[in-house]
Amino acid sequence: MLEIKNLHVTVDGKEILKGIDLSIGAGEVHAIMGPNGSGKSTLSYVLAGRDGYEVTQGSILFKGEDLTAKNVEERAAAGIFLALQYPIEVPGVTTMTFLKTAVNAIRVARGEGELDAVRFLKLVREKAKPLNVTDEMLKRALNVGFSGGEKKRAEILQMALLDPSLCVLDETDSGLDIDALKVVSDGVNMLRSPERSMIVITHYQRLLDHIVPDRVHVLSGGRIVKSGDKELALELEKSGYADYAADAA
Amino acid sequence: MTMAARNMKTGIAERRLIEEAGAPGFAHAGWFDKARLAALDSFEAAGLPHRRLEDWRYTDLRQILEKRLARVEENSGRSDAPAGLLDAVDAYVALIGADGVEGDFSALPEGAEIMRLGDVLDEGWVRDAMDASVFGNTDAPQAAAIIDLNTALLGGGVAIHIAHGVVLEKPIHLAFSGNGTRHLRSVIVLEEGASACIIESHQAGANAFSDLVSDIRLTRNASLTRIRIQNDDRSAIHLASDRIVLGEGAVLDGFLMTLGAAVSRNQSFVRFTGEGARATVNGVYALRGSQHGDHFCLTDHAVPGCESVTLYKGVLDEAATGIFQGRVLVRPDAQKTDGRQANHALLLSREATMNAKPELEIYADDVQCAHGSTVGELDRDAVFYLRSRGLDEASARQLLISAFLDEVFEAVTHEGVRDILRVIASEWFIQERGRHHE
Repeated sequence: MLEIKNLHVTVDGKEILKGIDLSIGAGEVHAIMGPNGSGKSTLSYVLAGRDGYEVTQGSILFKGEDLTAKNVEERAAAGIFLALQYPIEVPGVTTMTFLKTAVNAIRVARGEGELDAVRFLKLVREKAKPLNVTDEMLKRALNVGFSGGEKKRAEILQMALLDPSLCVLDETDSGLDIDALKVVSDGVNMLRSPERSMIVITHYQRLLDHIVPDRVHVLSGGRIVKSGDKELALELEKSGYADYAADAA
Repeated sequence: MTMAARNMKTGIAERRLIEEAGAPGFAHAGWFDKARLAALDSFEAAGLPHRRLEDWRYTDLRQILEKRLARVEENSGRSDAPAGLLDAVDAYVALIGADGVEGDFSALPEGAEIMRLGDVLDEGWVRDAMDASVFGNTDAPQAAAIIDLNTALLGGGVAIHIAHGVVLEKPIHLAFSGNGTRHLRSVIVLEEGASACIIESHQAGANAFSDLVSDIRLTRNASLTRIRIQNDDRSAIHLASDRIVLGEGAVLDGFLMTLGAAVSRNQSFVRFTGEGARATVNGVYALRGSQHGDHFCLTDHAVPGCESVTLYKGVLDEAATGIFQGRVLVRPDAQKTDGRQANHALLLSREATMNAKPELEIYADDVQCAHGSTVGELDRDAVFYLRSRGLDEASARQLLISAFLDEVFEAVTHEGVRDILRVIASEWFIQERGRHHE
């Protein structure tokens, strides 16, 4: 699904990622953990194609194609979805309008044709219900005045609607209380399938109690310094990142 | 004597004509001929406003107009059909040209009248409405002085009278178009408890110079919704001043959209003369190329207990210049005033310019007033966010620009017109999209 080789990335002339190798198979969930400033968010933005993140060396292949040649919206159409740590508030655009615009943009790009209003509404209701996203929320401006939990649920709803094949969840647990974490994690778990891979970026192990990963990687100083199975996350919870930070320096 | 004044004298060269017979093509009444000459005198004394006057700091009319006034231009204006989109609004349509007012007003309800201004100049209500003495101690004499030009050279206009208690269900649509130079006046009077919605569309042709003044009187508990869409040719000059007086409990719901003209200056002078009145003076401007759009708003709280809201939002692309000069004046007696004023602009290009000067001038102590001004660019994070959900860059920008402006559209009370404004805005952005794809 995703093949990253020797990836070097600079932001504002500063090298943040210093040679990442990562291979994710179809249906696999990989967790990326690491201290602040280790490059976790940079990795997520590079995958999504954000401006200002320059790949200076290495390659990213997504479903066998060079991802770096595609712009942001082409990557979205190809099946990459980034759930943001801090979803952006967009005043004046209702969540429903935004979802319809996004779903149809992606469908058109995938050659599936737009959904009419009735079919779209049916689809939204079906996906929104388990995430506890109410009609009232859908009528509000996108993310405006949403609580932390509502924002993350709205992100997962977008993910469910856009039907991506690689989900990148950037610190999805930040700002969530235990109950909200459960709802969001359940939503993510429902989207797990043999065709869909996930990268779960998190600082803390607790999210991984809910979304159980196949592999765990420790990112520090712009490199993956250790990989293991889910036990690695538990180990980190005990020992902290101090050892790895020292390794990277 | 200033050069402008000399040009006025030799250039218009029609002073004698005015003295003898009034301005060409316009009926005259004794009182008005006197007012016209007085206006000409004071305009000649002041000359055209220029950059060194604070109220005209960003719009040098002397430079812009001198050339135009140096010759007498034929009134060549002819009103065409109103802009296509507004045709969809069921309204009483009046075509306002240099030489008259056309339309079928037979369906107007009893007590609502639309007339040629020249035909009713001697009516008391017209004379009262055109009497500027209520604004005599206005706090913006520099800005108001340009109205003398209109009075001196007035060539026509429309008079609308809505009688006591008459509620007009359908809007009146005043469609301004035509070419050349036009000095026009609208007199709009709503008597006690009357209610109306007046839409103005402006579609002047290439190189036109529109000099427009509206004298509006809202008597006790009268209610006026006024929506203007200025879409003159982008080579035109558009100068518009509104003098609006609100009596006790009167409500003004005003909205202006500035899209057209090479140079436009809109001046709004709102004055409360009765308690418990409420005025909304909102606007949207969307300018590109080298367009220059100046919005000057003075709200004068002369009596207690009135509420005013001024909210402008603009988008400026390419090398366009936007100007907002707002002033809320709260006089010593005007306790319990609620005055709010804000201007927010989005610059879509590094070459665009915004000048904003919001001011509060408060002499009463028990008031609630606020003002604000922001100038920014499109939020890059938001553009990225929308693109990461599959929208292409132009669509993402369009959505964000429309969303930015929507707060002002949302406040427009006429639903049909509100939808049209949104369409007009998105068409403007589709043009922008074309540019970005070039």
